[in-house]
Amino acid sequence: MTSAATKPSSVNRLKSNDAGRHMISDYWERIFTANERNASVVWYNGAALNPIFQAAGLEWAHGEAFAARLSAQKLEKSAQLAAQEYGYVGELCSYARTHLGTALLAKQAREKFENGIVDEADRDELASRLPMPNFIVNSYAGCSTGQQWDELTMRVLGKEVPIFNVSLPFLWSNRADAGYLQGQEWEEASDYVADQLHKLIEFIEFHTKRPFDWEALREGMHYIKQAAEIRRDAMAMCRSKPTPATFWDWIASVAHINFLPAGPELVTYFSNIREEIVGRLARGETAIKDEKYRLYFDGIMNWNKLGTLARVFAEHKVAIVAGRYTHNAFWQEPHLIDTDDPIRGMAQHYLLCPTNHGFKTIKHFTEHDCDYYGLDGIVFHSTRTCRAFTGPQQMLARAMQKDHGLPSIFFEGDVADESFYKGELLESRLEAMLETIDVRRSRDLIASA
Amino acid sequence: MATSNFMGVDLGSTTAKAVVITSDGVVTGGQIVQMGAVSRKGVEKAIQGALTMAGLTEQDLSYTIGTGYGRRLVPGVGRTFTEITCHARGVAALFPEARLVIDVGGQDSKVIALDDQGLVDRFALNDRCASGTGRFYEVLARALECEIGEVGPLAMQGTKDLDVSTMCATFAETEIISLLAGGAEPADVAASVHRAIAHRALGLVAQVGKRSPIVMTGGVAKNSAAVHFLEQELHQTLQIPEDPQIMGAFGAALLAMELSTGRTLMQLNTERLTQLELEVEAAMQPNNRPLPNCMKCYS
Repeated sequence: MTSAATKPSSVNRLKSNDAGRHMISDYWERIFTANERNASVVWYNGAALNPIFQAAGLEWAHGEAFAARLSAQKLEKSAQLAAQEYGYVGELCSYARTHLGTALLAKQAREKFENGIVDEADRDELASRLPMPNFIVNSYAGCSTGQQWDELTMRVLGKEVPIFNVSLPFLWSNRADAGYLQGQEWEEASDYVADQLHKLIEFIEFHTKRPFDWEALREGMHYIKQAAEIRRDAMAMCRSKPTPATFWDWIASVAHINFLPAGPELVTYFSNIREEIVGRLARGETAIKDEKYRLYFDGIMNWNKLGTLARVFAEHKVAIVAGRYTHNAFWQEPHLIDTDDPIRGMAQHYLLCPTNHGFKTIKHFTEHDCDYYGLDGIVFHSTRTCRAFTGPQQMLARAMQKDHGLPSIFFEGDVADESFYKGELLESRLEAMLETIDVRRSRDLIASA
Repeated sequence: MATSNFMGVDLGSTTAKAVVITSDGVVTGGQIVQMGAVSRKGVEKAIQGALTMAGLTEQDLSYTIGTGYGRRLVPGVGRTFTEITCHARGVAALFPEARLVIDVGGQDSKVIALDDQGLVDRFALNDRCASGTGRFYEVLARALECEIGEVGPLAMQGTKDLDVSTMCATFAETEIISLLAGGAEPADVAASVHRAIAHRALGLVAQVGKRSPIVMTGGVAKNSAAVHFLEQELHQTLQIPEDPQIMGAFGAALLAMELSTGRTLMQLNTERLTQLELEVEAAMQPNNRPLPNCMKCYS
């Protein structure tokens, strides 16, 4: 019996996303048991270097991803507290803060284990379950904290873990010939990063004491390219009004495209998503009930509030259709990948991190997405501890209003620290913007009558 | 035909406001209740006060609109609107020529750009901190050991422009105390803080683009020094409604009337503008009534 107080949800999530949850759980379980299997583990941050690690026969743990996972499960507090006690302040990137805390907890758990101490509390603590790394790789674009984060992790772990840093230059786009995926700056930066990826592979060969499996890399990138193409196809179908899937559905599949193993199951996963969207379009099934507004989301995900945000927007009949984080990251330009010689295409994707562009490029793809998906406005998640993402947001808001008449609102929150989020402020601002959109529509209607 | 009555209720962060109007837009009741925070008691008191003033009971109300942070807590509302829409609506009714609204409330401040039909075109709100809001003036009053109503007159006596660096309501108190401890005159401190707050409001104005004429609403508009320093920063005179604090509730009441009578904002606006044009023509004739310049004259 349905309780009278239970309100039917306005959110109609893709079922194929649910089906992919076990892929994430299986992946993390494999990481957690890596030491028991004597597998080598790499901790890495930033770019999706995982196809390289996979080809090298390593287990890879992405720091941001683990922090996001802890936050989505509301298990991040103990790690953040550990980091705070160590001296990392609350204004530091909450991904970094959580991951550094994780490193401390994992180190303590390992030391207790080695001393024969069986601690039930620690054993049950997800944040302490990461296996110690055999080495660390940092490849952070557009964020100075990210570039230093793994240096700090190395220090936290007693400076005993080898580290390799891939330097990703910021794409300023201020040369005359510069543009998205074009110009001298783009070509030179691509070569520069590709060269470092070759050196990274040499580093891995040195530490694993075995030759790198290039064929495995080509095979992995073949699957990544296929999965990325299918994902982009499926995203493009959301141009349809009302939309069959939303930003929140794409958020739910970020892990899969960003760091899960490259293989046929990844292709199947995104094929199922595309198939479900095709089915929805055929049946006229929509992602939210009674779509009335279509908005863009600029900001990294607030992982603590994934369900809350999806619900808030849906209850206001808002379909968040696209976003900088989902649509302009994660192998979003699959045509760049040459599966026979994948390194340069990989280097280019690492440069295409949404925090690594000058304002001109960010404006370029925001304009494109807002136009392509027929959007009414922009919601800016002003991510409190992520200056890299929030830096250009005010300028972007002004430019999009001035050049395209698109209204926008800002709400404060964070990637992995929910204390910065205040729901009432978001709702008030959202309602105010929707009222403004209503006024604009009625004005347009009268003008066209 | 019996007159219908409409109510607008603005449940803000520090006060509850209620306004009753008739179907021809005449204000028959209004009440402002001070309270600690969004409070059901405060809103009930405001509603009852406004109804008593209008000589009505709740049963006499045809439609009620809620606004403000606590809008969802207002009993008996037909629907809710944000303060942005309600302040804009209220200002557009009283000042049809207005193109910018600066509303400084208890916990937030906002700037609303209006188009040539009095409809919201763009808006900007302060960050979630209380800088530049009514709360900030309360902090100033506490640090200066005076009543909130005294900080404005005191600021008007200040002659020096002291360096006030922080705009965080929490840290500002420390800064004010250090200025006083350093021998600064309370009047100069008050003036400097007012000047700094006005300067901060310019940032919000810049976000939506400066337009004229400008109307200031919200409780802070009753502080003559706040208005004075803002006028200095903006290089123009601000227009202040007779009761700026109640403007959101008044706008909500107007929206209640418009929605209840089935007239859309646009339709009403067109009608209102036509009506105003007729009134302007009429006012040009000798011995005719003056142009509407306060709530009670709105029709």
